[in-house]
Amino acid sequence: MRQERVYVTAGSAFALSDSRGDMVVDPHAPVGLWSFDTRFLSHWVLRVDGERLNALSRDDMTYFETRFFLVPGAASHYVDADVSLIRHRSIDDAFHERITVLNHSAEPADFTVRLEIGSDFADTAEIRQPRERPVEVVADPARNQLRLRYARGRFARETTVTSTAPVDVDEGGMTFRIRVEPEGEWITDLHAVAIIRGAGGRDLRADLAQHRHHVRRGMRDELRQWLDRAPTLAAERGALEAAYARCLVDLASLRYLPLVNFGAVPVGGLPWAMTLYGRDAIITCLQTLAFTPELTPATLRMLAAMQGGRLDDEHDEEPGKIVGELRYGEAAAFGEKPTALYYGAADTTPLFVVLLDEYERWSGDADLVRELRHPARMALDWIDEYGDLTGDGYLRYLTRNTRDGTVNQGWKNSPDAVAYADGRLAGFPRGTCELQGYAYDAKRRGARLAREFWGDPAYADRLEREAEELKRRFNRDFWLPEREYYALALEPDGTPVDALTSNIGHLLWSGIVDDDRAEAVAAHLVGPQLFSGWGVRTFAAGQRRYNPVGSHLGAVWPSDNALIVAGLRHYGRDVEAARIAAGMFEMAYLLGGSIPEMIAGYGRDLTKYPVQLPAAGRPQAWSSGGLLMLLGALLGLRPSGDNLLVNPALPPHFGRVELLDVPGRWGQADAYGRDRAASGLARRPRVR
Amino acid sequence: MGTTAADYLRELGSGRRPDLPETTTGTVRLDVREDGRTEHWRLEIADQHVEVTRSGEDADLVVHGDRDAFDRVAAGEMHVSAALLRNELTASGDIRLFMMLRRLFPGPANARHPREAARAVAERGGRP
Repeated sequence: MRQERVYVTAGSAFALSDSRGDMVVDPHAPVGLWSFDTRFLSHWVLRVDGERLNALSRDDMTYFETRFFLVPGAASHYVDADVSLIRHRSIDDAFHERITVLNHSAEPADFTVRLEIGSDFADTAEIRQPRERPVEVVADPARNQLRLRYARGRFARETTVTSTAPVDVDEGGMTFRIRVEPEGEWITDLHAVAIIRGAGGRDLRADLAQHRHHVRRGMRDELRQWLDRAPTLAAERGALEAAYARCLVDLASLRYLPLVNFGAVPVGGLPWAMTLYGRDAIITCLQTLAFTPELTPATLRMLAAMQGGRLDDEHDEEPGKIVGELRYGEAAAFGEKPTALYYGAADTTPLFVVLLDEYERWSGDADLVRELRHPARMALDWIDEYGDLTGDGYLRYLTRNTRDGTVNQGWKNSPDAVAYADGRLAGFPRGTCELQGYAYDAKRRGARLAREFWGDPAYADRLEREAEELKRRFNRDFWLPEREYYALALEPDGTPVDALTSNIGHLLWSGIVDDDRAEAVAAHLVGPQLFSGWGVRTFAAGQRRYNPVGSHLGAVWPSDNALIVAGLRHYGRDVEAARIAAGMFEMAYLLGGSIPEMIAGYGRDLTKYPVQLPAAGRPQAWSSGGLLMLLGALLGLRPSGDNLLVNPALPPHFGRVELLDVPGRWGQADAYGRDRAASGLARRPRVR
Repeated sequence: MGTTAADYLRELGSGRRPDLPETTTGTVRLDVREDGRTEHWRLEIADQHVEVTRSGEDADLVVHGDRDAFDRVAAGEMHVSAALLRNELTASGDIRLFMMLRRLFPGPANARHPREAARAVAERGGRP
């Protein structure tokens, strides 16, 4: 049985503990207090009279606040304690823990409360094997404070833990020798601050003027306002309302303010991806335009600021490329990993253009389109100048960092994800099919932007010609006529890599599929090889490398399925779209809580219950966003000029749905839908 | 040996920089420390041009560091973002301009065009 993990999070900072609130190094999970990719507390264990504590219950108040109710002793025996404890934990820019000791007896009681404290200052890149670091520890009883410090050259990280109650401090922690009156309580507040040393020993973040503006005061108010700004969902099924609310809260929790600050942007998710990933951020924004559009302008500006400007093999950087990953820890700082700004992603650049155009369609924010003309143009230029690696007009990738570059630079980025049906791996440079769809979509959208906002009709014509040409060639070269689907990829010599994968659904989303082939593609997506009953598998069953627990070789990803369902509706394949979406919502209802990054690809008829995977992060921005996108796609929400078009096609038994106050260029508009069983009426598109 | 930061900055201020967004404007001051002295370089970015002067006048973004750190960045040996994380360079003010500064400095000397790397891999039969 896997141990339960409990988190509190704020921005890119989070604390991950066990169910009683203790943090102990675990090679399989980033346990501890983390901020900016550094572990500031790796050991945080509470004992009373030498005994560890046992959790009675817990109150997860918000994503940044949790209370643990505890008693001393092991879980195995009957608990009838005269003493109990409450650990009330919260996180903002610092980590707080209020410890309350309650004496339930009629006599005064003496306790020794011990908090073991330590830090290894590990980097996120070394969870499995944290390196030994020389940590300087200063016990400062006069200040009720313990300071832990690690320095490498000018690079310095420090944790200070301070208690409000008097305490004995030693290098391993803090000891409180207390007496608690009958029916009385004793309290201390512990305050742990993570310090990143910058100029002259001051905190780097305090130096960055903009960062200061966002000290998270009033986090509860802020969360309430975030929820208020999102559309209100009234659904016949309570489980849908609960899932919707949970997704909004999870998206709120997965925002952070980067050092280069244009406003809050999405991080990937807990626990492994609490930083900006270009792909996850863009996809999350695309998924949430009808719900939380405020994520998008900050994300676009931030990505534009980080856009590649030169050639750099180690970082896989080229002019115009949109960043893949950004880290702030020691491994990035010293170039042990190329993650200070890593560009090893072939999809982020076209998707950046797709997002800019899609955002304007929803928001009407023409100023942003003009402001970002240059980065958008550089991104479009990148596709042909640096993305076309063999000169045949297809977007391909090949890492130039042979030490630790990302081998597969599409969303399926595990090393063996791009294979033939018979198991052979494809050669390099690899051009996966969905990249061609994104490039096609980016060119078409870029053409619209050039014509309507940049005053460059000649460029618009050129992009449209290129897009049409790409679509024509793509439908010739990637289509496997005898199997009636598109190949996963092309070899450098043009040989198709014949695996059947979920990537074909992205092609529908991008619009690169010829109309007369949409039916066949849709049939594969809901066919027995790809469709598990919960959703579309990344890699179809029956092929050599298929593995239901392999992330990109069989598992089912909500984010992937959201794009697929949107693509199916785009081509009018409403029945298939509803079928897949129904499976996804059933998965969400059964699991409850945050939507996981992925579930196993086992058939629904085999397991009856969605099988969760240890490797799957939860919550994840693009999973939470994915569920919202599924809802938007079922309702058929689409901007049309200055109106919101609503064209519902709900699965049977989905129930009546009202989504009120959808924000956009129309101000606010409402969307209503009911499943066909409920209405019995033909549906007609309706402009509101 | 690579270019020093001073050499690089002296030659920076000529000609249009089409790689800079036309919307980017602002001033950056580089405070280069060496042997207890500080040399000031001031960059004024506007209209895809960078004007470089020797001036200690205030700027939107001020970047401090030892000469050695600036030289390594100018020679393409140290990534400017890594230098900031490592605290070899410190920045105060409009950090967004720091990202522009990144583009003004050259990349590593031996960087390849992706097509060049692809050709090399093709010669090895598609295996990197």
